[in-house]
Amino acid sequence: MCHTSMQRLACLAVWGAGALFTAAASAQEVYKIGLVSPLSGANARYGAFANKGANLAAKEINAAGGVMGKKIEFVTGDSQCVPAEGVSATKRMISFDKLPIIIGDICSSVTLAMQPLAEEAGVLLVNAASSNPTITYKAGVGGFKWTFRNYPTDEGRAAIVLEHAVKSRGLKNFAVLSVDSDYGRGAINFTKKYLPRYPEAKILSEDYYKESETDFRPVLSKIKNSGAQAIIMYGQADTTPIVARQMLETGLAGKVVLVGNGEFNTAKTIAAAPSVMNGSIEAAAWLPEWTSARSQKFVEDYKKAYAGEMPNNHAYTHWETTHLVAAAIKSANSLKAEDVRNALAKLKYDSAMGSVTFDDHNQAVLPMVLLEVADGKPVIKSAIAAKVDYPKQ
Amino acid sequence: MAITLDTPHAPSPRLPAVRWGAAGTALVALALAPLVLDSYYLHALIIAMIFLLPAHGLNLILGYTGMLSLAQGVFFGLGAYASALLSMHFGTPFVVNLLASAAIAALIALPLGIPALRLRTTSFVMCTLGFVVIAQMVAKNWTDLTRGDMGLSGIARPKIGFGHAAIAISQIPQYFYLILAVALLATIAFVALIRSPAGRCMVAIRDNETLAESLGIPTWSYKLIVFMLSAAFAGLGGSLYAHYETVVSPLVFQMYYSNTILIIVLGGGVGRVPGAIVGSFLFVAVTEALRVAPELRMIIYGFVLLVLVFMFPQGIAPLLERATEWLSRLGGKVDAKAEKQA
Amino acid sequence: MANFIFEQIINGVITGSMYALVAAGMTMIFGVLRAINFAHGEYYMLGTFAAWLVISKLEVPYVVAIVLGVAIAALIAAIIGRLVMQRLVGSPFQAGVLATIGISLILQNAVILAFGGGYKVFEGGWIEPIEFFGIGMAQQRIVLIVAAIAIFAGLEWMVRKTRMGKAIRAVSQNIECCQVNGIDVESVVRRTFLLGTALAALSGILTAPVNVSVYGGMGESITLKTFAVIVMGGMGNVRGTLLAGMLLGVVESLVSGLIGLQYRDSVGFIALLLMLMLRPHGLFSQKARF
Repeated sequence: MCHTSMQRLACLAVWGAGALFTAAASAQEVYKIGLVSPLSGANARYGAFANKGANLAAKEINAAGGVMGKKIEFVTGDSQCVPAEGVSATKRMISFDKLPIIIGDICSSVTLAMQPLAEEAGVLLVNAASSNPTITYKAGVGGFKWTFRNYPTDEGRAAIVLEHAVKSRGLKNFAVLSVDSDYGRGAINFTKKYLPRYPEAKILSEDYYKESETDFRPVLSKIKNSGAQAIIMYGQADTTPIVARQMLETGLAGKVVLVGNGEFNTAKTIAAAPSVMNGSIEAAAWLPEWTSARSQKFVEDYKKAYAGEMPNNHAYTHWETTHLVAAAIKSANSLKAEDVRNALAKLKYDSAMGSVTFDDHNQAVLPMVLLEVADGKPVIKSAIAAKVDYPKQ
Repeated sequence: MAITLDTPHAPSPRLPAVRWGAAGTALVALALAPLVLDSYYLHALIIAMIFLLPAHGLNLILGYTGMLSLAQGVFFGLGAYASALLSMHFGTPFVVNLLASAAIAALIALPLGIPALRLRTTSFVMCTLGFVVIAQMVAKNWTDLTRGDMGLSGIARPKIGFGHAAIAISQIPQYFYLILAVALLATIAFVALIRSPAGRCMVAIRDNETLAESLGIPTWSYKLIVFMLSAAFAGLGGSLYAHYETVVSPLVFQMYYSNTILIIVLGGGVGRVPGAIVGSFLFVAVTEALRVAPELRMIIYGFVLLVLVFMFPQGIAPLLERATEWLSRLGGKVDAKAEKQA
Repeated sequence: MANFIFEQIINGVITGSMYALVAAGMTMIFGVLRAINFAHGEYYMLGTFAAWLVISKLEVPYVVAIVLGVAIAALIAAIIGRLVMQRLVGSPFQAGVLATIGISLILQNAVILAFGGGYKVFEGGWIEPIEFFGIGMAQQRIVLIVAAIAIFAGLEWMVRKTRMGKAIRAVSQNIECCQVNGIDVESVVRRTFLLGTALAALSGILTAPVNVSVYGGMGESITLKTFAVIVMGGMGNVRGTLLAGMLLGVVESLVSGLIGLQYRDSVGFIALLLMLMLRPHGLFSQKARF
């Protein structure tokens, strides 16, 4: 039909107008939010979970009517855990897609690079997974008013884990084996900060593993030799089963326990080596076994939506953060970034783990649980709300 | 690797004019860009110009001395850290940081280059790769200096000028002009270097090192100096990166940066003056355009690389060169007369 | 202390077998093609992924998964070999670098696209620990060491006695002469590529039970480590990679045990750099060819 140049022009005009019309029509019904995460490269293994959690939440919100009558739609960006890429993806979302709210990233260095962009553009940046405390030290009254962080700070974690390990379990000799990233190193720095409170406790060795490490035998041999009773491990979800299995094969099962954080409590991790995981201590912001109705429903819905795959921590935090954003929009009764931001700062949000508020550094004061693994199951020992000790500036 | 620039016909006398005209037009277009384009596109152009600098360095060492170095990422990262640390600890102004980064990168290239340059091609590549891995380890573990994985954030924005007259650079258009200026100066320096007698010596070394040596060219010194110069270029780029992104972490030593710089140079055209320029703008254009399809993006990018290797082994710059040649022939009669006279 | 050192040496031999197996493949490919395969780790990943897939979807036993995993990875490698790798014969070094970077991006992200980016847990394999001179190790480790020795012995035999092996040696030495002599260089390149990547895939499947986590990007760090091994062993020198792999494994274990795990990767590259400065042709080669 569109053969001659005149006909082609007409076709183009009709097609163009149609596209514009549908775009305009759907623009009225869709509210786009940005989602930046590593979707390629080695860190894609975490980004994938994050996006799935967020998408599940968006589906739930849309099924319940959406936000202010509009459906949430995510515009995804791939940061590859490379700050330059994350910045480009964010820039595109801000300038090109004109998104008012962005959730991202997982890698702290990317988030740190995104903060000034969001600040300048007046775009709400809600972080759901980065652990570098600098993000929070610099947010809110620290300077970046548009950054919010809905992820626990490791300071509180480090403190209660150490307390429980020394006081309740009588552990004295510790070996450190954490992931070599801002998360692992930061948590150990915090642990060392609190260590002087327990004069009987000592750190016998300090090792950090690279993020794609699979061979822990040398360091486990060292730990076996050192007489350590517990390994302080702040690590990654998929590395814990590897360490557990290798602890089993080197004969550390039942002799050395894991203490810290790294999804010690999930069924798959425990199943990897139950005799090793029994007795481990973890401070978790969430666990799949958590008994609240909302959390259980999240786990069930996630499994149903994604072919039986179990959600992990990143999936949960992004799911929760999406709901958090929706709640802030509702509370603000507006879709504008400024209003949502103000509402978020004052929001008291009922998460699946308990009540969440934000402190003056826009850091979520999150309820956490301290658990031990016993008989192949996580057992909650206590609950705490982690508070941050901000450095004097 | 022989790169021939032969053309079947005698080049039209108007060719240089056409080439300068094309370059000039591109420059004017770039200069006017902030008036027309919105900040996302400007950001993409800025990234292209930041990567242009280490790409010039790699083009220098690969295209004009024939050594494939994957260490540009090291000097880029070194420049970034140097700039960041100087600015954070001493509050030095931007221009000082910029020049210091180049100098520091070149200085560190010296002890690295001396042993490395004795190696043959493949070993040299592996050696430079080793530098990248070790640089990342140092950045992660020397926490007193680099703060390790915590990274250096909140790097001060550049200020140009003195005292009260200083212009603080914080908006994208301002950054654009600053980086355009630096990139332009670096490119002029690069071209001057290539066109100089020293540049000719470098080409001689690339084409046949033994012969060059027999002609009395001190090949060893040349290679070392070229290595240091290419590091200086990369250091400049790193400094710009640090002041633009305001965050530097050991992630700057990932293979991503070395690979990107390599792709820019090979895709653009090795051993050609516009090679790095074409490559960096092309690379940014492709990777940003592909963001429309986030799931397929890296797969398509991989295919683009394969297409580059098999269909444009000399890069894209030769196509542009042929285009300018064709343009310069458009006034056909002039050519025929010139050829008859020749 | 002596016991501790002994244990670390055994740890090193275990890791080293894996390094050696993967490196053998890469060095052979380098030998015939003069190209560094930046995508080598991706074949390791493909083998592991394929094995994971057949175990979790078809529920076959581990032994069958080894065969199927290698077969699937080899099939993909065969396609790539024919379409890409054989065309790299005679092209400059950087063409190989760019092409294999492209392949690695395609493979990694295709797997992420097909199976999702999230990490999978590898089930199967012989993970029950046994004792060996007082050192506990999973049975899988013994399998890996035995397999490595067997394969290297097999490679040695192949290179000395079979026609294909001799062709590989010839092509490694001088491609133009081979073409003159009527050896089908492209076929040798394809078959060497297939063999090399199959070795990588096999080594991935054999270590998956103890390495547990399977994800699309897992090949990157393998490739990098393997570079160090092939340079140390002498590029193109298969016997050298066995020794270099073992040596690297042992040194890494000692450094991890005595100094810290965070310095582990740099050991390989510091050793690589030292070696390039002092003995550029590799620890076990006679003269520098590359």
